[in-house]
Amino acid sequence: MTDVSNKIREEAGKLLEKGEVDVIIGFEKGSIPLSATPCFIRNEADIEKLIWNEYCGNNLSLYLSKARGKIGIIAKGCDTRAIVELIKEKQVQRERIVIIGVPCEGMLDRKRIMIRCQSRNITGIEDQGRQLLITGDSLNVAVEKDEFFYPACQVCANRNPVMCDVFIGNTIEEQKTDEFTDVTDFNEKPSEERWAYITDEIDRCIRCYACRNACPLCYCKECFVDATQPQWVGKTIEQSDTLSFHIMRSIHLAGRCIECGACERACPVMVDIRKLNRKMSADVKNMFGYKTGLDIDQPAPLSVFKPDDSEEFILDI
Amino acid sequence: MKNLYLPIPMKVENNHIETEDRNIKTLTLSFLNNKDEETFNFIPGQFVELSVLGAGEAPFGIASSPMDKKHLDFSVSRVGLVTTELHNLDPGDTVGMRGPLGNGYPLEKLRNGNVLIIGGGFGFSTLRAFTNFILHPQNRKQYKDIAVVYGARNPGLLLYRNELSEWEQRSDVQLHVTVDKGGESWEGKTGVVPVIVKELSIDTDNTTALVCGPPVMIKFTLPVLAEMGLAPEQIFLSLEMKMKCGIGKCGRCNIGSKYVCTDGPVFNLAQLNLLPQEY
Amino acid sequence: MDYRIIKKSKITEYLNNLINEYVIFAPIEKDDIVLYDRIKSGDEVILDYSNSVNSPKEAVIPQLETLISCKNNEDITCVKEHLDEQKRFLLFGARPCDARSLLFLDKVFNDEKCRDVYYMNRRNALTIISLGCTRPQETCFCTTTGGSPFSSEGSDLLFVDIGDDYIIQVITEKGAELVEKLDLENTQNDELTKMDIVINKSKARIEPEMELKILKDKLDSSFEGSAWEILTEKCLSCGICTYHCPTCHCFDMIDEETKGKVERIRLWDSCQFPHFTMQTSGFNPRPTYKERYRQRIMHKFSYCFDNYNMAGCVGCGRCVSQCPVNLDIRQVLTAFYGKHEEIRL
Repeated sequence: MTDVSNKIREEAGKLLEKGEVDVIIGFEKGSIPLSATPCFIRNEADIEKLIWNEYCGNNLSLYLSKARGKIGIIAKGCDTRAIVELIKEKQVQRERIVIIGVPCEGMLDRKRIMIRCQSRNITGIEDQGRQLLITGDSLNVAVEKDEFFYPACQVCANRNPVMCDVFIGNTIEEQKTDEFTDVTDFNEKPSEERWAYITDEIDRCIRCYACRNACPLCYCKECFVDATQPQWVGKTIEQSDTLSFHIMRSIHLAGRCIECGACERACPVMVDIRKLNRKMSADVKNMFGYKTGLDIDQPAPLSVFKPDDSEEFILDI
Repeated sequence: MKNLYLPIPMKVENNHIETEDRNIKTLTLSFLNNKDEETFNFIPGQFVELSVLGAGEAPFGIASSPMDKKHLDFSVSRVGLVTTELHNLDPGDTVGMRGPLGNGYPLEKLRNGNVLIIGGGFGFSTLRAFTNFILHPQNRKQYKDIAVVYGARNPGLLLYRNELSEWEQRSDVQLHVTVDKGGESWEGKTGVVPVIVKELSIDTDNTTALVCGPPVMIKFTLPVLAEMGLAPEQIFLSLEMKMKCGIGKCGRCNIGSKYVCTDGPVFNLAQLNLLPQEY
Repeated sequence: MDYRIIKKSKITEYLNNLINEYVIFAPIEKDDIVLYDRIKSGDEVILDYSNSVNSPKEAVIPQLETLISCKNNEDITCVKEHLDEQKRFLLFGARPCDARSLLFLDKVFNDEKCRDVYYMNRRNALTIISLGCTRPQETCFCTTTGGSPFSSEGSDLLFVDIGDDYIIQVITEKGAELVEKLDLENTQNDELTKMDIVINKSKARIEPEMELKILKDKLDSSFEGSAWEILTEKCLSCGICTYHCPTCHCFDMIDEETKGKVERIRLWDSCQFPHFTMQTSGFNPRPTYKERYRQRIMHKFSYCFDNYNMAGCVGCGRCVSQCPVNLDIRQVLTAFYGKHEEIRL
């Protein structure tokens, strides 16, 4: 990891020095254990702040439309997939960004590790490769990393950058293609059980909109949920309103969601938001043979019409 | 303990179209309960929350004078959900009202001095209330010279036209109505409010200015008033912010540590100069 | 002060004795996360926890609350207030920071000029038993905001963990009444010594990081300037920090028509949302994340001093641990407090 961090600093430094970019968007050390935090580097003297580790989970591409000037961005597989879609949807101009691609072997879920550590004060973390030895206040636990990668990382089939200008490190072996077995398994459950699962999850939602705001593809200037004339969705935390929000959001992301899991990572009450988005992705894959975020020239299936498009979703009443 | 969220039931007496574009209507309301009528006392510049059940609440400055105890006027510009519902009301319909809210114009300070009233467009409503209040026979002698400058974008957008004509006839008030752009039939003044204000000759020592209007009018009027020699303490502005509760709790109308709903909406310029420019 | 002692193993039993008389909110574990929620039985309660994900403010300002209502076919003259008599409400196991947040909320909602009846209705029915913090977390900063891990401000009873027992500090009359009801034993001197050791040990672990009065001056003089933009560039403008903050209390009021009824409800809102201050004309005095985050900080550490002579923050650290981009409020404050020059503009 230190090698990668050093290489990132080196490449980012060059870009800033040569004036090829005005800002580097990357990660710096977080303020609490097991964290890293997005940072914006504009000054060569700050280059040393840049780091790379297994806590760099945020999808940085969401900052691309916000930052001014020419941008260098440190991007793992999912960040580059989002960039592909953002370019396709004309939210980001390819020539305005320099992508520093970094392969990613999965990001660790701080919240679940903290639960494992009973939220005790952490004073020491020893990285043993596949294990973390965490010590602290009445605390001494060994955490198997494999159990604590984010769910999205566990099924990620594009851990290497799909597009980049500078490549850092070595290409890593991809995990097997995502067959959406989780979606199939879930689909096989009786509808009452599925409904109970989804509503149980959604009932925890407090409508802080962190899922939406952390999503690189949720860039609408005015989200349907905020519109008042007409008001599409009720503003309460009653199940019908909350569920409407999540369902409508997932449908709006159908064929656009790049499955980075940023929504789920941001959720303070750990709602399984991906459940809905995964179903949409599986449907898009099955109906249109399409996977998002891979090819800048391939149009999104729901934004184009083809005479032989699948019509399975049209209800035959 | 009084429930400050409970609206007073009011009856619509009239819903009159004010402007040619039909976008502003003046609602005249009366009290459904005598007790509410007796206890409702306000000063010009205060506002209320009007509500149509099912649509919600919105704040409106009281546009009528407190000398009329039976009726309250509100000029409503149709922009959103609540205002559209208010526009659709017919005489006899009911609405909810919470208030009076806010501080109102500084009546004590204004007494025994000259008053310069400067309004622009839709912002004139509470100034109309104030003007009618001080022009009332019972009150007029408590104020010295009164000048009113009122501007709108075009003649069709002028509010309270009948009253303007009445004021025009009076010798105890100097009225200057102006439009940015007049038509062929317009015989009055043409020019933006700050320009008209500049032309006034006023004894600034004993004058207080009340200003309410669109941001651009305020922006250009304030330097004119300063140039005329008015100190920041002599200039009062009525501000508008998004509001919900109207009682300093819901947290959205603050400018610095001041809440427009409870500390305002009327502030003098000296007070505003101490606050951040976040309005 | 009056002190009592209670066996830890007896807590469940005592809570069960109270459950018919009180609605009890306590920390429970639900789907892996610790939440304050209503309990049905004393054994749901967990006592070995750092702090809950949500704040106990829900006991006095629920996220959703009906203020008034009427039937669809009725008009404003038939409006009904929703001010039912509250059952006695017990908040058990609140942390001292959270208990202290109630003092702050009282200043806002129990203001002489504009008293909020809905808040007071719940607040008057509320008794707070807090549990002192023997293990402050790295995200905690209560001492910086004027509290401490064993502050009794806002609590009716304060429990101090001395091993197998809790020492109970009886703070208010409400607390005394509860203690009498439970018929608890008095303490011995050696137990009180143990308590002092626990308290001092914990206090030593969490030193104040700055002087609030100085911080206020520094913030007041830094309202303008690009530091805000730089410090908050990563902010997502989501509502986590405000929704889970024990002192944030901003709300929206809307009308809902459902099931033949029209209800005027109030529900949490957040100064971090763009629509919070957006006027119908489209003008927004706080148009970007910079102004909105600045509002949150200025409100808590400057405006609240002007209006309530108390910080609008109790240092619970929820916004620190839950922020999806690790925008740490302590770092922002520190930047303005002393190391302003370190921010490269």
